[in-house]
Amino acid sequence: MPPDMAPDAAVEARTPPAAAEAKGRRPVPFRGGTFRPRAIPFAAPLVFLVLIGLWELGSRSGLISPIALPAPSEAIAAMGDLIETGMLWRHLEASLSRLVMGWTIGTVAGIVLGLAIGLFSLARAGLSPVVSALFPIPKIALLPLFIIWFGIGEGSKVATIVFGTFFPTVIATYGGVDSVDRTLIRMGQSFALSPLSIVRKIILPGALPAILSGARISASIAIILLVAAEMIGAEYGIGAYILLAGSLFALDQLIAGVAMLSIIGLTVAWLIGRAERALLDWRT
Amino acid sequence: MRLSVEGVGHAYGGTTVLDGIDLAIAPGEIVAVVGPSGCGKSTLLRLIGGLERPTVGGVFIEGDAPAGSLNPITTVFQDFALLPWRTAAGNVALALEDHRLTRAERDEIVADVLARTKLTDFAGAWPRQLSGGMKQRVAIARALAVRPAVMLMDEPLSALDAQTRELLLDDLRDLWVRERFSAVYVTHNLAEAVQLGHRVMVLSRRPGRIREVVEIDVPLPDRPARAAELEPMQRQLWQMMRDEAMAADRELTDAA
Amino acid sequence: MLAMLRGAVLALVLIALSPLPALAADDIKVGILRLTSHSPSIIAKAKGYFADEGLNVEFVPFQAAQAMAVGIASRDIDFGMTAISGGLVNLADKGAIKVIGGALMETDDAQGQKILASKAAYDAGLTTPAALAGKRYGVTTAGSSFHYMAHKIADGEGVDRSDVRMVPLQKVPAIIASLKSGQIDAWSIVPNIGNALARGDSVVAIGDVSDYIPNYQVTAVFTSTANVEDNPDLVKRFLAALSKGIDDYNAALVDKTMSEEDTRAIVEMIHEYVYADTPIDKADPRIRAFGMRINPGAALNVESVEDQLNWFKSEGLVPDSVTMDDLVDTSFVDQPS
Repeated sequence: MPPDMAPDAAVEARTPPAAAEAKGRRPVPFRGGTFRPRAIPFAAPLVFLVLIGLWELGSRSGLISPIALPAPSEAIAAMGDLIETGMLWRHLEASLSRLVMGWTIGTVAGIVLGLAIGLFSLARAGLSPVVSALFPIPKIALLPLFIIWFGIGEGSKVATIVFGTFFPTVIATYGGVDSVDRTLIRMGQSFALSPLSIVRKIILPGALPAILSGARISASIAIILLVAAEMIGAEYGIGAYILLAGSLFALDQLIAGVAMLSIIGLTVAWLIGRAERALLDWRT
Repeated sequence: MRLSVEGVGHAYGGTTVLDGIDLAIAPGEIVAVVGPSGCGKSTLLRLIGGLERPTVGGVFIEGDAPAGSLNPITTVFQDFALLPWRTAAGNVALALEDHRLTRAERDEIVADVLARTKLTDFAGAWPRQLSGGMKQRVAIARALAVRPAVMLMDEPLSALDAQTRELLLDDLRDLWVRERFSAVYVTHNLAEAVQLGHRVMVLSRRPGRIREVVEIDVPLPDRPARAAELEPMQRQLWQMMRDEAMAADRELTDAA
Repeated sequence: MLAMLRGAVLALVLIALSPLPALAADDIKVGILRLTSHSPSIIAKAKGYFADEGLNVEFVPFQAAQAMAVGIASRDIDFGMTAISGGLVNLADKGAIKVIGGALMETDDAQGQKILASKAAYDAGLTTPAALAGKRYGVTTAGSSFHYMAHKIADGEGVDRSDVRMVPLQKVPAIIASLKSGQIDAWSIVPNIGNALARGDSVVAIGDVSDYIPNYQVTAVFTSTANVEDNPDLVKRFLAALSKGIDDYNAALVDKTMSEEDTRAIVEMIHEYVYADTPIDKADPRIRAFGMRINPGAALNVESVEDQLNWFKSEGLVPDSVTMDDLVDTSFVDQPS
């Protein structure tokens, strides 16, 4: 028995059942109250509001130096400027079109290669090491190359996002293909389904959960890479806005830009959640 | 259509799992295959189903498949092999989609087999919503949909609880009475074998060889009523298998 | 925060000690970029000019001028030297830093920044800055010195500023790659880089920045506002030592009045920090190639700074409320002669 056990607990633990009975009838102690996740819908917004409130107070009282962090009200004002001048939509339009285009190309190409690696032994043997070798390369390091290959127009920006989203999608897809129940494939063969039908009706839907969770990750990577992508010759775009704010040390704009990225991230996560619910309604 | 297995032997790597299997399945006949675990029962079924090629010997079909048969040799899997992303009706339809059928024809077949397996009310249910017994009924409906000449049943009831198993066994028997399908019924459950098999083929432990083929000449529909007659046959089969099963139990199953 | 506190304590201690000068050397941190333009500090340290002033200098190398300005604002370093950028002005507006002297300046008696065109653009008619209309001009970011130069060149040629398209590429290597591959048309850069590029086949020099921005104060010396207000003596001593380094630099590498032996010694000092990863024999000509004058006595061309400040305001890059007094403390150095 541990020496630090409370003395009465120790006594109770040693008490024989007959003696416990003598203490009278009582309910069994309830122990199931811990580690029970439940949904608390207002917690997240409340935490956000409290944090922002504290931050504002800290800035107003001078506790937080304006050089260290601008007040949230200043960031909101910067956001207001963006909306008022209409620049917000130009930045959003530029960034979203790059995100959508880059992410779509990267994801589609990634799924195709992921399927190839998942389905064909030759592709797996030949390409999966290549994928593993190229995946960890920071795409930012390749920017100068991308300039030469894809130009400083939209090409290199989209390419950065394509490269960033392609590899995680490949890995998620072939992982998903690997995880498809072999029996299901054998079932398809035993019913003499064509290989195309097996891929389309059995393997793809079976890999879909993995592909969608891969999409969650690749979408976040795409947003992270947006700033890097817009380092090259971008006049408009949220990444370009953040970079400019950083170089001008305009911290209110910087925070406003970062908040916009967060909002895009939240929106994308929500959209993918919706897609999951729509496409994977057979799960739960 | 007749199906015959002639001198089939199979090996994975250096391990022989089946050796010298000869078996002919006549139309409308159910052959139950029993044997200790790891004796190659499921392998035999995959060889017959054309999912694997035997190392020695061959599996042949003779004569035409019955008219309207879309997939003469059709497997029913132990763990149902239902696509979780398709409803019961969708799973049945899957087997028909690669055949030249109009939508109406397909829908008709699906409705028909679901009715025959008493699943009409569950046509729109997801597999996750169905009990094990219901899932296997869907799988059987799917097999029936392609009008097989031979059904290969790989321990179709062993993933189910005892009561469901009894119910489904009755269903299968009724189905046979109506459809007169022929089948190779692999099981490790001797009660199932004597309830459903016209013949019971006993395999030895690995490498699986035919130890005995027992004819059970009680007509299928009469079997529930004449259970007492089946009892000694089941005991006889168990005597045969007992030693094999004990020895097999002590082996490492690396070739399953 | 901690750095600020530390700075404040240091300042208090220094004030307390000021009646007893030279009791102990003051520890200061100086931000440098690994560029030849930062030679004066390097020379001043190597030759002991800082030590003579009772300053114990530690160099803090930075990758970018922007980070150096922030480093001074956060009191992690005490002195720095970079181009006057929008970020620097905004930090000055927040009361964090002040320009206290001048460094690189475009002069007639030394080489200056070059205006470059890509070969493709040159062949297509960009043979003089007058043809810049409709062309793509490489800048690191909006509000950088490149942006300022582009506009001043456009002004000088009567080209509408908005007709020159700025392409922000963040980093000098990215601009070089873009210029070489003809994805931007024009750029302006310090002479050593500019001349080296123009020696290749893909880039042509088409003019000098000094023709458009005479006496352009390219870089400035700056420190934290706290140092200026609480410890002007420290600032004076730093500038005095730096001035000796500047004189050596100009003598060795600009006017070339120093003996080859002494020049070589200077180059070796610089090589400790600049092109340190290339052998001295290769680095030597590169260090000598720079050749831009640094104002003796760290003199500051206030007029040029004011012009730059007004330009930042006109581009909406800094608040209109920023005044020259916010940005510059002119009490430490003279106007360039």
